[in-house]
Amino acid sequence: MSMHWYVARRVAWAVIATYLILSITFGLLAVAPGDGQTAFAFKAATQGGDVDEAQETFDEITGRDEPLLTRYKNYMVNMATLNWGWSFTRNQPVLDAIAQAYPYSLMYAVPATLISIIAGYAIGLYSATHQYTLTDYFGTFTAFFGISIPNFWFGIMLILVFAVDLGWLPSYYQTGRGVWTVANAKQLILPIIVLSTGAIAGNMRYSRAEALEYVHADFVKTARAKGADDWRVLVRHIFRPALVPLMTILVADILGLLFAGAYITEVVFQIPGLGLLSYKAIIQQDTALVMATTLIPVFIAIIGNLVQDIAYTVLDPRISYGDR
Amino acid sequence: MTDPLLSIRDLHVQFNTDEGTVRAVDGVSFDVARGETVCVVGESGSGKTVACESITKLIPMPPGEIAGGEILFDGEDLTETSEKRLEDIRGGRIAHVFQNPQSALNPVYPVGAQIVEAIRLHRDVSKEAARDRAIDLLDRVGIPEATARIDDYPHEFSGGMKQRVVIAMALAADPDLLIADEPTTALDVTIQAQILRLLRDLQDEFGMSIVFVTHDLGVVAEIADRVVVMYSGKVMETGPVYDVFEQPSHPYTKALLGCLPGQGKSMEPIGGTLPDPKNPPAGCRFHPRCPHATADCRTGDHPEPLDVGTDHEAACVYYGPGYDASVIQSDAVSESTATDGGSEGGTPADASESGGDDR
Amino acid sequence: MAADTRSETAATERFEDVDWDDVGGLGFPRRTLALGVSSLAYLVAVVYDVFLTEDALVSGTNWLFLLTLLAGVFFVAWPLAENRRLTAYYWRRFKKNRAAVISAIYLLVVFVLGTFGPMLIAKPELNVLAAYQPPVFLSVDSSVPTSCVGQAADGLCHGTWKYPLGTTSDGKGIARLVVFGMRVSMQVGLITMLIVISIGTVVGTSAAYFSGLVDELLMRYVDIQQTFPTFFLFLIVTYLFKPSLFLLITIFGFLGWGGIARLVRSEALQRREESYIQAAENAGASDGWIIRRHLMPNVSNTVITAATLLIPSFILFEATFAFLGLTDPSTPSWGQVISSGRGDLDSAWWIATIPGVFLFFTVLAFNFVGDALRDALDPRSEGDA
Repeated sequence: MSMHWYVARRVAWAVIATYLILSITFGLLAVAPGDGQTAFAFKAATQGGDVDEAQETFDEITGRDEPLLTRYKNYMVNMATLNWGWSFTRNQPVLDAIAQAYPYSLMYAVPATLISIIAGYAIGLYSATHQYTLTDYFGTFTAFFGISIPNFWFGIMLILVFAVDLGWLPSYYQTGRGVWTVANAKQLILPIIVLSTGAIAGNMRYSRAEALEYVHADFVKTARAKGADDWRVLVRHIFRPALVPLMTILVADILGLLFAGAYITEVVFQIPGLGLLSYKAIIQQDTALVMATTLIPVFIAIIGNLVQDIAYTVLDPRISYGDR
Repeated sequence: MTDPLLSIRDLHVQFNTDEGTVRAVDGVSFDVARGETVCVVGESGSGKTVACESITKLIPMPPGEIAGGEILFDGEDLTETSEKRLEDIRGGRIAHVFQNPQSALNPVYPVGAQIVEAIRLHRDVSKEAARDRAIDLLDRVGIPEATARIDDYPHEFSGGMKQRVVIAMALAADPDLLIADEPTTALDVTIQAQILRLLRDLQDEFGMSIVFVTHDLGVVAEIADRVVVMYSGKVMETGPVYDVFEQPSHPYTKALLGCLPGQGKSMEPIGGTLPDPKNPPAGCRFHPRCPHATADCRTGDHPEPLDVGTDHEAACVYYGPGYDASVIQSDAVSESTATDGGSEGGTPADASESGGDDR
Repeated sequence: MAADTRSETAATERFEDVDWDDVGGLGFPRRTLALGVSSLAYLVAVVYDVFLTEDALVSGTNWLFLLTLLAGVFFVAWPLAENRRLTAYYWRRFKKNRAAVISAIYLLVVFVLGTFGPMLIAKPELNVLAAYQPPVFLSVDSSVPTSCVGQAADGLCHGTWKYPLGTTSDGKGIARLVVFGMRVSMQVGLITMLIVISIGTVVGTSAAYFSGLVDELLMRYVDIQQTFPTFFLFLIVTYLFKPSLFLLITIFGFLGWGGIARLVRSEALQRREESYIQAAENAGASDGWIIRRHLMPNVSNTVITAATLLIPSFILFEATFAFLGLTDPSTPSWGQVISSGRGDLDSAWWIATIPGVFLFFTVLAFNFVGDALRDALDPRSEGDA
């Protein structure tokens, strides 16, 4: 089977997966009981939202008075045409709210992603090539720390130490401090640390495990016997083959860990990005906004999986297109 | 004999593990002359691979450590040499071919790229020139349609073909010494013969020395000029291949040859097992399994190598003062004359089974 | 292995005299019997509780927890007790990892405290007068608590043994909250693990065994489920349905088994190819026999290890959702307490800190134990140490 056919099949599968996930979401919306809705509506009322409006939007989204098939059709058409509804809490289309929020998410998620990939892979590779040294043990321990510490608690503890006790950094995010300013950088330090710690640990563990598979491989010995220096052996003969399986964690990591982590980070540090937008929408029962802000990471996950599958074909000459 | 190309003097290599220190190579000496083929023979775990990989420090360090001795290559002591200089020597002057061709090539690069890499690490040539040379080499080692196959990936080659590619890669920079560590063990018998013939032809053409590590005495007879017999990190016997086969002088060599079918006597497995490398026996390493062991064999150090013929040494007390070497020699004669002919047939490759598989 | 424990009888017999059925050839009759009796008793009790009493005496979560404990006894503890030699072998390998042994002891304490503690101590109650008490041995400025329960001296309020870990802003004892939180974390972790293992194993083996269309459908479904980022899937579902601990556990359990199913399927497919399975087939063993006696034991270690490493993520998810206020507020959970202490970081730091320490160490301990289990249980990781 040719590579083009393989890529075409993967794209087709991504489309089908999107369709199925949208259908499942619709199904969930349809069977969601009203009482959960009222409970939240009550919460919305106590927190300053409008109960009637909440109920109205919920009915609008779910269209409970129309036949199921019509609702399904409308829902799908709306989703496909990017007509994602109106956010009653913010009095603007859902997509506008998202467009306003996402730059704040990028501001700290991009540096955190880069840091976690570079630091994670570097430490992991170093650990693997220096197995059983003190640095390796230290790295492994740090990894356990990183994957075990609850994001939100870590954030709170950092605020406690660096903002409350030491007073070095602000304890929460304030808008209006510009983008490329020192003040903005200062208030992004803690969120970046929180978000990248877990991701560094994850990347480190995986890259160490993957690289270890190759450190003692015969072809690495062959490379050394050829006269390649340590750096060349590490980059071309250990890292490059390990990159193939590492692609999986790279995508899974950015999507799973970082997105979920970002959500919590934004709530803890009050950064007005996608996560906080979504969280406020949940608290205020803004169903349209909840759906949009949770589906976006899902769509990105699907695209990420697709990119990963295609990256495999470029990175691994051994892939057999028929199997997948 | 003039100055040897490689001279290993009293080499000690050990591995420091949690369970104790493993003295894998414990005082090994042998020479390799220019243009000569030396076979290092021994069972699995005898230290032959470690000894050969220590020459260019390919063993993992740590836990491995060269604890003593010297490795003189063309007059230069490699144990003292800087890592930078060693990188020039590896592949440039001393090349390696390993046991398992299936895993010796990096799966993510075309074979040509890997040969080009080897060439360009040691020769200051353009990519195009290196590629032309790579095609030449592939052609030389017997890969059909080398020009077409140079961009194929390793998984597109068979085991025997991969080993040819590995050999081509080893020849990339015209090495003076080729260390081949059981290069045929993982291959079919028919392919084995082809690879051996290829190595012999290449040696004639390139004029290099070969150190050939094997546990297969059949292969030794095929390719060796001289033989080094190793056991438990020690050299038991060295000598020209003809002398060692005709007049094995160490009881261990005799026992090893006794395992070989078709030698005109009954096949006899060696009783007992290899000693624990963490805690080797005192005296001669072989004494627990030796039929001739005396009180002197059980204490003190391993015996010194003693002359038993021209350029032929054995590390056995029977060749020292106060012993009658004929006990062993005559034993050999009596055994080889007592033909029962019951074990004719079988291929030399079967003998390799006695040693078990080396990793 | 089973013959080993009965060596006193087997040793005197000749091979052909041994009654192999008696020596454990056909499973473990005693265990099967006990399993049957307890399952029946459990079913009767659940039916009685659900249909014949006005209010359920025991909550759904607690029923599930009981079921998990029963499963633990019959499928982990009992076989381990029967195969002493194998158990000793695993233990020898496990105890090489010092951190994991300490972790296991810690988890055992948390488990026992969490399981029995809430039966013995009262649920922490609202008490405005006792708000913001510092932990014992520590003190805080007198202006922080409304009134000081312990000793007040030099403008400082000292902690008291009445509230060893201090109190929250509404005067609940943190020590008690921590114990109740242990139960929640253990329930979330262990029950979810049971559900995930059950579904994952059934789906995985079915896919491997039936292959073809069944395999394709099941695995495509798993693909979709795995594509959905877990956190957001849980988020949508908890948003749409009324949140409770029971629901949370069910959601985690019923949507979290994809990885295990994939693992079981690939392991089962791999094992099927191995010679000892072929040897059993050649010896005339039935499919059921092969799956039960040869396939399952070889897959189960991998599954247990993978599932142990899933537990911490479920505990973290629960804590996160509790922190976000998306769980039932009447269930005291660590995440909830941490959230309640967020506003008082500058005055009452201990409220957010202490439950977090327990949460962190619990998750860390599960990770350590899971890691050591992988080294100890995986027969293929022989050389590594």
